[in-house]
Amino acid sequence: MGFDERHVLPSLRLLPYDRLVLVAGRETIRSAAFRRLRALEPALRTVRVDPFDLMSALESIRETIRSAATDGSVRISASGGTKILTNAAILAAFQEGVEAWYCDPDPVRLPVLQGVVLDAVFSPAERAIARALHGPSPHDRLVSAVASQGFARRTVLGALQSLVGKGLVEIGRDGSLVWVRPSPRFALFRDHLRQVPKKG
Amino acid sequence: MTVLFGTLGWRPQSLLPSIRSSENLERVVFYHSDHAKSREARAKVMEFCRSLGVAASAVEVSDAFDLLHVAGQIRADVRKERLAGSDLRFNIAGGTRLMSSAALLVCILEGIPATYVHDETYQEIPLPLLRISYGAGLTAKQREVLSFLVRNRDKDFTETALAKALGVHKATMNHHVRELEAKRAVARLRDPTDARRLIVKPAPGMELLVG
Repeated sequence: MGFDERHVLPSLRLLPYDRLVLVAGRETIRSAAFRRLRALEPALRTVRVDPFDLMSALESIRETIRSAATDGSVRISASGGTKILTNAAILAAFQEGVEAWYCDPDPVRLPVLQGVVLDAVFSPAERAIARALHGPSPHDRLVSAVASQGFARRTVLGALQSLVGKGLVEIGRDGSLVWVRPSPRFALFRDHLRQVPKKG
Repeated sequence: MTVLFGTLGWRPQSLLPSIRSSENLERVVFYHSDHAKSREARAKVMEFCRSLGVAASAVEVSDAFDLLHVAGQIRADVRKERLAGSDLRFNIAGGTRLMSSAALLVCILEGIPATYVHDETYQEIPLPLLRISYGAGLTAKQREVLSFLVRNRDKDFTETALAKALGVHKATMNHHVRELEAKRAVARLRDPTDARRLIVKPAPGMELLVG
């Protein structure tokens, strides 16, 4: 939400909910618009973010989704607040696989696949490579190190190519030596890649 | 060669850092509104590209009120460049909220590296997007079923009719439809003319996923 609660009201009317969580910047939470909204929804929970910092807003929204998802399904209305906040909410919805709407002015449901989360696109072998890769590393040494964790060599090579295809790892040659190095984008996915998936 | 896509608002500074930082830049394609200030910004970006000897084309999005429509337009342009074999980048920092969100949607769905530019520092910040199509979250068969339903959105299909149309067993189709339903890509709706029949319909916006 930004400074006009009227941008939020259509979503409240159109999208049924049990609990409402509002993601907004500090100035919004101090605004008259916020007080009017709270008067309508006394149980409103707020999450304060920097509405001009896409990456930090994205992480806050993802955390909020995960925490809310433990109590039931989550639905996002992404059309209030700054442009950056809207984009962070859209990105978070796709990464966490939750229903998302854009209500400006008519409600548009975004083509999110429910339950398809970003973490699921990485195989165990890809995660093992990511855990082993801290900087440029000789190809053979990296493959052997990951294979020693119980992966078939062919699986490790396939996972390496998959990471190259996703734009996260670069393979280069220096004379006769083949190197593997994390791409500049790798850091953006470090947390996703290094998490050990939960069983069951 | 790289083609840089961008959304432009009133400030050319939101797009220029990406033009400067793109390696092997062949062309810049950017979207802007029909507002006078946006047109002024367009002129400045065109002039900047000319000074670098980079080709540029501006696309005026005059009635930017339909997110999915704008996203569809951008996606068509992006796919055309991708088919031509270019590397693609997208700067989503400028433009209206709807234009920027439509561009982000396309980047997510098509797996295009995207950046935004900080409002004050003009620093370019990459977004955490993978170079894979979001549709990879569906199996090949699920994609086939969903594509068929999207192509025939105006028609009503029961699971049995779908199975027949796509040449699979009813039980197999039931499995695919249930999986698609769990992902909220389709919905099974009661036929208003025959309460015993369930019609399978694609969810809104799925054209962008499999179209």
